[in-house]
Amino acid sequence: MVPRSCLIRWKTRHLGSSIHPAVSFSRSLFASSQVYQTSWVQAVSNAEKVVGFPTSFLSLRSVANDEISNIAVYLKKLIGTGHPLITTAKNLVYSNDKTHQTRGLLVLLMSKAAKRESGQDILPEQRTLAEITELVHTAHLIHTGVINLNTPNANLEMGNKMAVLCGDFFLAHSCVQLATLQNLKVVELIAQAISDYSTAEFIDIIASENDSALDRWSQQMTLRYGSLIAHACQSTLILGNNVELIESGKSFGLEIALAWQANIEIQSFKSNANRADHVLSKLFPETPFVDVVANFQAVRDRHVNAALKLLTAFPQNDASLALGNIARALKC
Amino acid sequence: MVVSARITNFLAYSSLTVSRVSHLGNGSLRYQWLLSRNTSLLQLRSKIQTAVPSITSNVSVPKENIPTADALVRPDLEGLYEDIREGLTNTQPELRQIAQYYFNGEGKAIRPVITMCMARAINYHLDQNAPGVIQKQKKIAQIAEMIHTASLVHDDVIDVADSRRSRPSVNILWGQKKSIIAGDFILAMASGMLARLQNQQVIILLSQVLADLVQGEFMQLGARENKDERFAHYSEKTFKKTASLIAYSCQAVSVLSGADSTLQSIAFQYGRQLGMAFQLVDDLLDFIATSAQVGKPVAADLRLGLATAPVLFAAQKFSELNPLIMRRFQEPGDAETAFRLVLRSDGLQRTKELARQYCNDAVTQVAQLTPSPYQQALVTLAHQLLHRMK
Repeated sequence: MVPRSCLIRWKTRHLGSSIHPAVSFSRSLFASSQVYQTSWVQAVSNAEKVVGFPTSFLSLRSVANDEISNIAVYLKKLIGTGHPLITTAKNLVYSNDKTHQTRGLLVLLMSKAAKRESGQDILPEQRTLAEITELVHTAHLIHTGVINLNTPNANLEMGNKMAVLCGDFFLAHSCVQLATLQNLKVVELIAQAISDYSTAEFIDIIASENDSALDRWSQQMTLRYGSLIAHACQSTLILGNNVELIESGKSFGLEIALAWQANIEIQSFKSNANRADHVLSKLFPETPFVDVVANFQAVRDRHVNAALKLLTAFPQNDASLALGNIARALKC
Repeated sequence: MVVSARITNFLAYSSLTVSRVSHLGNGSLRYQWLLSRNTSLLQLRSKIQTAVPSITSNVSVPKENIPTADALVRPDLEGLYEDIREGLTNTQPELRQIAQYYFNGEGKAIRPVITMCMARAINYHLDQNAPGVIQKQKKIAQIAEMIHTASLVHDDVIDVADSRRSRPSVNILWGQKKSIIAGDFILAMASGMLARLQNQQVIILLSQVLADLVQGEFMQLGARENKDERFAHYSEKTFKKTASLIAYSCQAVSVLSGADSTLQSIAFQYGRQLGMAFQLVDDLLDFIATSAQVGKPVAADLRLGLATAPVLFAAQKFSELNPLIMRRFQEPGDAETAFRLVLRSDGLQRTKELARQYCNDAVTQVAQLTPSPYQQALVTLAHQLLHRMK
């Protein structure tokens, strides 16, 4: 039996090889690049057991219909072109590794962590919300994988076309699902998250007179990743009627998102051959490698600690413990 | 041949019923409405089949001084585009610019006009002393226009367009990636506005439009192998891409005024039939307008590989069109051949005929509303649409 960590390392290397150069490195689509973190994987795997293995989760097959099967035909033509859509699609269709659906998992854990009585289970609406969170995130990934083409290129144009349509499909499906939750506030919150990740694409990480480059990075990451997780946590607490925990849950979502993203940047920076182009080099210019890593680890750890502190407001149970483990795993 | 034309039209028309029922996705609530709606449609189908096409409304149409629908609801739509742009200001400057770009008020605004007319007509029907338009109904017009525009932005990227409304398209000015993200932004803002209307049913209706729009695009990607299925496929695609938004917007404004399911059905059906007619007229004009221009011999739809109603009708006369349709007019000379054959066939005539039937049905729907200038305007809209075909 091959150790799981080795299998995961192989899988990531295999999937990570075909990104189009137009997609900038620091926006890598995976939780980490070549070197995978066993402790993170472990924490997440254990957490899945707490919420009973999210089997209702998104996979392309589960939402497939006649029209979607057309995509498969077009996607085949894209193989070898390096369009980012290929990689995203591979993940969705073939991945059995649930770590790629961590956002949904976080929502489920938050739902369960807030339950004060041990008999209470995660509501169907909360499970739907977890799925919606993954759908929106996937749509985001797919749409930000659209490439700017200045010269005609039939294959990449087709790739863009597919990317637009698939992303739109997931967004539309999210909206329809959102409507079934019968909660207007939740619709508003998730709509805000979509608006935020769109705005994030237009923020430059350049220091201005009011903000340091690091501030700008935080703003951008808050909008791009933090908003969705924070609003999803907030929404699931609304659905679960855990009013007193809403603020803590929302803030926890934001802190964990920032810590997670900071960790992704650190891991990719460490393993990247071309460091000069990496976002961390821009955040800490003219700083030796070791110091850059240390500085950013400090940033990451601040967010992890903030998240852990917020968790203390929640009842002590398997789910809140699992959330704590996931947060702590980011520190490694 | 007249008989087969009637049968095809009948099939085209009825395929809408069948496909609507068969494509009921999630939501049992929606299923029930649609079921009730479909029975009334079935009753109407026979009327279309036997009657000589004519306006069957019982509203007298004065010959002169009919205010156009546009003029009637202009006060309601005052500031529509400013309000939409206002709603999109709260973001990064460049995103704001892209998002606001198509809301310069130069579009036809046909959807807001239809929505507002329907709102006023329904409000009057329910209570003649009621105020003209509820504020929330105006918001529906805004939201519908935003959804429509977001889809235009995405369409421009998908179709690799270079211009729209005589200006460079968004993808030319800002690139594909930012355009797509801007489209998402507009959609997100529209969804937020929708949520703040505090009406569950309206959210369900308009989010269904989003699903229909995407599915319509996907349907456009695939060609049906079986030529007998093609018209049904085209009809369903047309509903999803064009008529759905208009139909559900009409239904949504009726919901906001407290309409019961029968009245909602009238609103929905009017929107749907008018929407279908609207697209058919567009598809028709794509051929007529192009042939009137020198140096532009081929219709835009053909160049995109799309087989619209005129082509599908023509293929019944000229079966050599079938392989061209299957290969989406990709080979050199295909589009020109198709264009020529369409003009030689009765395809354009039959498209006009079908559009007329949809318009007539739309008028029959709103004939059930209490007469008012707005109800009249809805009738006039249908007439104006047919007039575009001349």
